[in-house]
Formats: sequence, C-alpha cells, structure tokens
Amino acid sequence: MSRLPYTRPTVQRLNAGPVNPFRLGTSPSCSEIDGVSVESLANDFGSPLFVFSEKALREKYREAHRAFSRRYPDVQFAWSYKTNYLNAICHVFHQEGSIAEVVSGFEYEKARGNGIPGNQIIFNGPYKQLHELQRAIDEQAMIQVDNLDELLTITNLAKGRSEPVAIALRVFLSTGDHTVWSKFGFNGDNGEVMQVVRRIIATPQLRLQGLHCHIGTFILEPDFYRIAAKKMVGLALEAESLGAPPIRYLNMGGGFASHARLHLQYLAAEHSTPSLDRYAEAICDTITQLWPAGRTLPKLYLETGRALVDDAGYLISSVVAVKKRHTEASTIHTAMSAYGKGGGAVTIAASSKNALVLDAGVNLLYTATWYQPRILPARPCLDAPTATTVYGCLCMNIDVIREEAPLPSLTTGDRVVMHPVGAYNVTQSMQFITYRPAVVLIGEDQQVHVIKKREDLSYVQELELVPSHLA
Amino acid sequence: MKTQLSDLLLNDRGFAFDPVRGETYQLNTTGLVLVKMLQTGMTEAQILEAMQEKYEVDENTARRDLEGFFDELETIGWKA
Repeated sequence: MSRLPYTRPTVQRLNAGPVNPFRLGTSPSCSEIDGVSVESLANDFGSPLFVFSEKALREKYREAHRAFSRRYPDVQFAWSYKTNYLNAICHVFHQEGSIAEVVSGFEYEKARGNGIPGNQIIFNGPYKQLHELQRAIDEQAMIQVDNLDELLTITNLAKGRSEPVAIALRVFLSTGDHTVWSKFGFNGDNGEVMQVVRRIIATPQLRLQGLHCHIGTFILEPDFYRIAAKKMVGLALEAESLGAPPIRYLNMGGGFASHARLHLQYLAAEHSTPSLDRYAEAICDTITQLWPAGRTLPKLYLETGRALVDDAGYLISSVVAVKKRHTEASTIHTAMSAYGKGGGAVTIAASSKNALVLDAGVNLLYTATWYQPRILPARPCLDAPTATTVYGCLCMNIDVIREEAPLPSLTTGDRVVMHPVGAYNVTQSMQFITYRPAVVLIGEDQQVHVIKKREDLSYVQELELVPSHLA
Repeated sequence: MKTQLSDLLLNDRGFAFDPVRGETYQLNTTGLVLVKMLQTGMTEAQILEAMQEKYEVDENTARRDLEGFFDELETIGWKA
C-alpha cells in the first residue's frame, strides 16, 4: 500500500474571530519564478540563491517611464547604482534608457566600465575624492555638490579651464511629517541654498545648471513629492532672480516605495504602496503648473532605485532545522482590574510556536532590519499557515529574518522563497562565516543566467596576507 | 489541571474542544491522526512505527516531529 504525503503534526489554539476552524484552507506558495521551477533553480545553482527576473525589471522600468513621460516632456531616469550594481542589472536599465547615478568613485568606475560616458553619469554623495572630482570634471559628469568643502575643491579644480564647470546643488527640504534628510546637501528651507547660489554666481569658474533633492526612502505619501517639487521650483526661480543662468534641470531623486512591507506596517503592500502614476502626478503636475508660462520646462531627472528593482528580486532558501518556541502561560491585569473592578485579569494560555532555521541569514538580507520579506513555501501545502519564527543560519542571536511569518508546517529540505528582496540586499550583503550565494537572472526567454558566482574560499581569502613570521 | 485526551471532543476536520478549559483548537490532519492514536492508548514507539507505515516520512523526521508534538500537547495541558 502506498504511503500518504507527510505533513508535520500541529495543534493551534483558536482565538475568537480571526480563525475559521471549518476552513482549513491551503497556504499560498511560490513554486515557480517566471515559469522556472524553484526546486530546479536551487538544485542547479545551490541554496541559498538570489534570483532576478529580467521581465519584471523591464516591465517596471517601462511602467515608471510611461508614468512620467506621459505627463512631462523631458524626463530622464538615472539608474541608482547603490540600490543594485550587479553589472547585469545595470545593463538591463541602461538598455532601457537609463543613464547612471553614482555616489562614489567606485560606482563611477563601474558605470564607466558599463559603457556609460561621463556626461551621462550623475555624481552624488557626500564624499567625492579629489581625483574622482577631477575625472568627473574632465568627463563632464553631472556633479551634484553636497557640501561647501566640495564646492571649494571643485572651484580650485576649475581654475585655468577654458569653460566654467557646470554643477548642481543637492538640497534638503522639509516636506511634511517625514524625517528631513539633513545629512545631504544644503538647507532649502532657511536660505542656505541661496547663500551658496550667490557664491557660485560670484565664481566665474562655476556655472549652476541644476538642483537636486532626495527627500527620503520608501515614501508612502506621494504628496510629499508635491511639496518638494513646489519648493524646488521656487528655489530654481529664486536662484535665477539672483543672477544664476537658467536652471537646466531639476532632479527629484528617488525614494518611491516598492512592494516591500515595513515592520509594524499594518496594511499589506498591495494596499499601501502608491502606484508610480501617483508619484508622477505629484511631481510632474506641480512643476508644470508652477513653472513660468512660455518658458521651456527644465529637464526632469529621477533616480528611483528601490521601486524599480526590489520587486524583481527573490531569495530562495532551504529549511535546515525545525524548532519550537514555547511561551509559558501568564496572567495580565487589564484596566478593569486597575479600576477596582473584578475580573480584569486575563490569562494568556501557554502556547508554542513553530520555528524554522534557514540556510540564509540576515547577512544576506540587510533590509530585513526595516522590512518583513514575504516568505512562501516553494511547494503547495495542505495545511493553513500559522505564525512561525524564521531564523537565519548565522551563529548570532540577532539572526531572525521574521519573528512571525505565516507559514504552514515545513520540514527540513523544504525550499522557501523570500520576496521582494531585489533592492540593496545584494549590494549591502556581507560575507560572514559562510559564502555568499550565487545570483541568477531569468531572461525573458526563461533562460537562466548566472550573473554572480557563489563565493568560495579562494575568493574570500584573495586579499589576505600572512606575514612571513606567521607562515 | 490537565485534560485527559480521552475527554477531548474531536471532529473529523481536526477541530478539538477541550471541555476542561473551554478552549478550542485546530489540529492538522497528521495531528488529528496522532491524537486519535493516543486516545486508543498506543505507546510512543507504536505511534512512531505507525507514522512511518502510514506516511512518506523517515524515522528521524518522524521522531523529531512526534517529540515536538507531544511537548506541545504537554504545554497545552493535555495528557494521555
């Protein structure tokens, strides 16, 4: 007689309300990515494994470009290298029409290596070294000045040149109840920007060509961009009134939300992440309404990273151990008992929660600090999901990927898929106690391409040296 | 106070009512089978063997899960 498929035994206390005991249901699963089996990906390329969908990358870029270009005549996207600078990912966005936005000399070199000419590189960041600025000036990169020291350095580098060096200013702005990112640039709310503009006007070696702001990250309220765009137009016109040449461009940065979900975010991403059309409407409509009639609109640059790449990235991982987390019974006293009324004490029954250990840790999921990745089993499961703690594989107590993820009962060897993880995790992952995984790209033809190999011992030790007396 | 497993009221979908506590629970299909085995007085070793005969599961996995499940029943306050 053939045996039945096995499911780990579970028992769950039912709370009034949220659980319907008669709807056993099934758990959502993710057995394929772009038509390619998760199991075969893990078997062929190892587990854990980062997977990117070329189709999703291109579709998201086109959605974003369409949202802005239908509302504004002169729009240019610049791929935010720091969000994900795997060359293959950069090439996809460059093929779609993005120029490059970099924040360091390293990223500048990467962009040049990817075939982007200097004059199509936006050079941001608070720390640009002298030789990097020299190269950027020589190659006519779009330097966006972050601070006064940098401005003075550029002024010195510009001396003796036949043409003034064109620069833009990074500006920070208050846009509502979102934290002001005052680390970067000059204050656009208290007159500091105009002081710098006066200095630039008085410096014949420099020419102000644009203004740039980046109000924050994962901005769920498009109206903040409306406020920022209004202030940016005001600053541009004020700069011109002081004697600056016509402002050629406004760069509204990025910060649009992906379909990730923040910790403590009540609503699911599907209900909270604004469409790209809403961001486009807030920015484009504001600029076109406020820009003086009859004048050519400034070019609009956008540096959105997360919203373009996050949803296209997955992390496949495997269950390596199954555990239980026990919680003892406890009694809490409610406001009723404090008020002197009897019966205010509530007994919380003892319970135990499923827990899993995966073969991937938070060293690969830096963004798990702020976001809760969705975790889905890679096979259909018959039982309903229960709250499950998902641990990573690191020998560190902080290595908890999700305190409570709704998962069916899984067992060792089961694969899970974490999503969305395409933004920042690859660039910010650290090598720690084990090797970082391979990264693959599923092409639009469903061919799977390795775009970064799995690390090995020789790669990790490549830069190490052992002094001769220790050899 | 412990609840005797024989006192639990079960239906065939794994819905369990604990008459001692007035609490309700949901067992999954495997959990229901195991509780029913316990109600018949089977020993842990007998249940382990029966699990491997009934399900596509290796001994290590079955033993681990069985022990975890029994711990869970103990935590709830159910005893055979």
